[in-house]
Amino acid sequence: MDLFFHYLTMDYLLKGIVLTLEVTALGLVGGFAIGIVLAAMLLSRHRLISVVARAYTVIFRGTPLILQMVFVYDALPHLGIMLSAMIAGGVALALNEAPFIAEILRSGIRGVDHGQSAAGQALGMSSFVLMRRIIAPQAIRTMIPAFGNEGVNALKNSSLASFISVQELTLRSTQLASSTFDFFSVFFASGLLYLMLTGGVSAIQLFAERALDLDRPRGKGTLLQYFLPWRNYSAEAQPTKTSSGSDEAEMSELLVAPTREARIARLADLAKGPIAVEIQDITKSYGARQVFGELNLQVRTGEIVALLGPSGSGKSTLLRCINRLETWDSGDVLIGGHRVGYSSGGMVLSPSEVARQRVEVGVGMLFQHFNLFAHLTAAENIAGPLRWVHGWSQEAAAQRTQELLDRVGLGDRGDALPRHLSGGQQQRVAIARAIAPGAKLLLLDEPTSALDPEMVGEVLDVIRRLAIEEKLTMIISTHQLRFAEEVADRVIFLTDGHIVEDGPAHEVLSQPRNPLTARFIRVMSSGQTSALAL
Amino acid sequence: MSTVFPKSQRRLLSAAIFASLLPSLPITAHAADLGSSEACQALQTKYPQFKGKTLVDAINPHTPGYEALDPKDPSKYIGLDIDLAESLGSCLGFKVTYKPVAFAALLPTLQSGQADLIISDIYATKERAKAADFITYSKVFDGVLVAKGNPKKITGINLSLCGTTAAENTGFVEVPLVQNLGPQCKAAGKPVPQLQLYDNNASCIQAILAGRADTYINDVNTVDQAVKAYPDKLSKATAVTLPYHIGIGVSKTNPELRDAIVLALTEIQKSGLQLELMKKWGLDQGAIEAPTIISVK
Repeated sequence: MDLFFHYLTMDYLLKGIVLTLEVTALGLVGGFAIGIVLAAMLLSRHRLISVVARAYTVIFRGTPLILQMVFVYDALPHLGIMLSAMIAGGVALALNEAPFIAEILRSGIRGVDHGQSAAGQALGMSSFVLMRRIIAPQAIRTMIPAFGNEGVNALKNSSLASFISVQELTLRSTQLASSTFDFFSVFFASGLLYLMLTGGVSAIQLFAERALDLDRPRGKGTLLQYFLPWRNYSAEAQPTKTSSGSDEAEMSELLVAPTREARIARLADLAKGPIAVEIQDITKSYGARQVFGELNLQVRTGEIVALLGPSGSGKSTLLRCINRLETWDSGDVLIGGHRVGYSSGGMVLSPSEVARQRVEVGVGMLFQHFNLFAHLTAAENIAGPLRWVHGWSQEAAAQRTQELLDRVGLGDRGDALPRHLSGGQQQRVAIARAIAPGAKLLLLDEPTSALDPEMVGEVLDVIRRLAIEEKLTMIISTHQLRFAEEVADRVIFLTDGHIVEDGPAHEVLSQPRNPLTARFIRVMSSGQTSALAL
Repeated sequence: MSTVFPKSQRRLLSAAIFASLLPSLPITAHAADLGSSEACQALQTKYPQFKGKTLVDAINPHTPGYEALDPKDPSKYIGLDIDLAESLGSCLGFKVTYKPVAFAALLPTLQSGQADLIISDIYATKERAKAADFITYSKVFDGVLVAKGNPKKITGINLSLCGTTAAENTGFVEVPLVQNLGPQCKAAGKPVPQLQLYDNNASCIQAILAGRADTYINDVNTVDQAVKAYPDKLSKATAVTLPYHIGIGVSKTNPELRDAIVLALTEIQKSGLQLELMKKWGLDQGAIEAPTIISVK
């Protein structure tokens, strides 16, 4: 037993720990650096790049680390690259760790709900901003346990550097055992030293998990805020007043149906306005299935268009095409005269350039499943994109955010995480987020179909008010017929990717000319009375 | 948590090691004298390229007596091969640093240029001389390490090995010899010998102590050291084998270092230093051999 303690505290072995940590650090830091590049390559849109990265992964994940160490140490010198034992060990460990780290990164990134990136893209985020602000912060939470594993693995794998003469803990232990013949005391001592090191890694892992836990209560000036600056919002912009449920009277006033004359006058006005969105002969197929065959559509500035049609008729796809979240095979989409997805010279734009274009033409989007950024508070969901994409100052973004939250009746919920809000509240935040930068065109993809019936009303109210107050051009795909009639100037009925009816909302809904439209309206109105009883 | 080695014996062993270290002072003085001797001065003039340099010596430091950590100060290596390397350095004017690697990695380390020489109780065989040039410095016989009382009656690399298990290090010259016994054992109607391959001396000794292997055949001095450490558990079987030549390995791309070592080693042997060193380390079973170059193209 005293021999065990003798070896446990022996300076010679403790110095070995330093070298073990050095090799491990080289391996992990290098592995991360290479792993990030590798993950980016694996996720690349360019096939050649991802194939190269995949080949690297197969080779370095599929061969034993010890061979890689010996290769770097003994074979590279023949090619004129002479690395010291420590560097050779670190390099080999880094090369070996990289594919594992890359796969952790890749699975973490892919694990983030696709709606998050769709929302980020729709808000005009470049690929970099999207990764940095939305995907990475969410992915990192799920990746921490795997990184903990990798840290422990790297630490243990560093012992293989003993084969290439790095005087780390394992090599020191085996040599010491050879010269003293105290095999078991030496190896138990070195085992315990390893356990302490890996225990340290586990502690770091648990600390990181705790620090990144969004549901943990937080106070001003905690460590948490230091690590999560994006959550500091509450400290900077205090909610001013609550305004929820205060607008009942105002609302009902707005709900008074316009007279027939007023409607005709508005339609005449709109017809004189410039064209906001023009869809020219777009075609799109998924394999053999045709989604659109030469679809044409014009929407005037300020016009509110309701897209109706059965599921699978192409409503959502059409909306996603308008802001280039989807591509099409031929034809053009123009917003304010800009050819969406193409430069003025006719070149196809990269995802980041498309994002910039969305900002320039001022198009916002609302999603069926809200797609609020899950790791950000309601306020930060709105303020963040204003700062990151539009370059607003902290103060200006906070002020605009509070104003919008007040308008959607959530002035006191700015600090809440999306998961702590009801579906209706989330969609109201999403509306505020979409219009915050001053969007001119808003695309609404079935904004109420994922909501419980009792929440449909609150969201439709907000949209109605927007329509009146903001004078936005809106294209709304919806199943809410009464809402469409109240809010929309025009109704378009889509089936199998074709527009079969297009006309003033009141007309189409009360006297449909196409038998398909008529049947759809009949079926929908019989099933929807309850949902529409506001 | 126990040690394999009873405390009383450890004390004995420590005493033995301590005693063996006692004469080291005069020897060190002797080594210093060597460098200032006329012959060595002449060599330093003849080979100025090594003077003031630091050469890297690849070792497999698991063989007490030849090379192992100093249990008293584990930051140092000690043993005959270490003293020899220091003496060569002293005579030719270079310093030595040591690079510990697995036995099988000694030659690859030299070939890749990660080391300048190998002084690590390695037999200079024709096979190995294809990978490096060797300068012999000692002739030694193999010893046969077995469990106390030699229960399997092993007498060497012969038919007595049939049906037993031998522990050896990867790359040892004994490995093919044991393998070649297979057909002979079969012809004699006996089971073939099994081989367990390790990467250092200590693992082979542990294999016998744990009952996993029946024998470990290596140079007789190493076997003696093991028996000294575990007198209750191990013994040396009597064996008659051919002599082997222990050599210093030098890269084939560095013939000047090889030639300089031959000359310096001759001086060391002439001065009586090598004999003193072998006595100091208890390697009394080995004979000094005049430096001979073994090189195969």
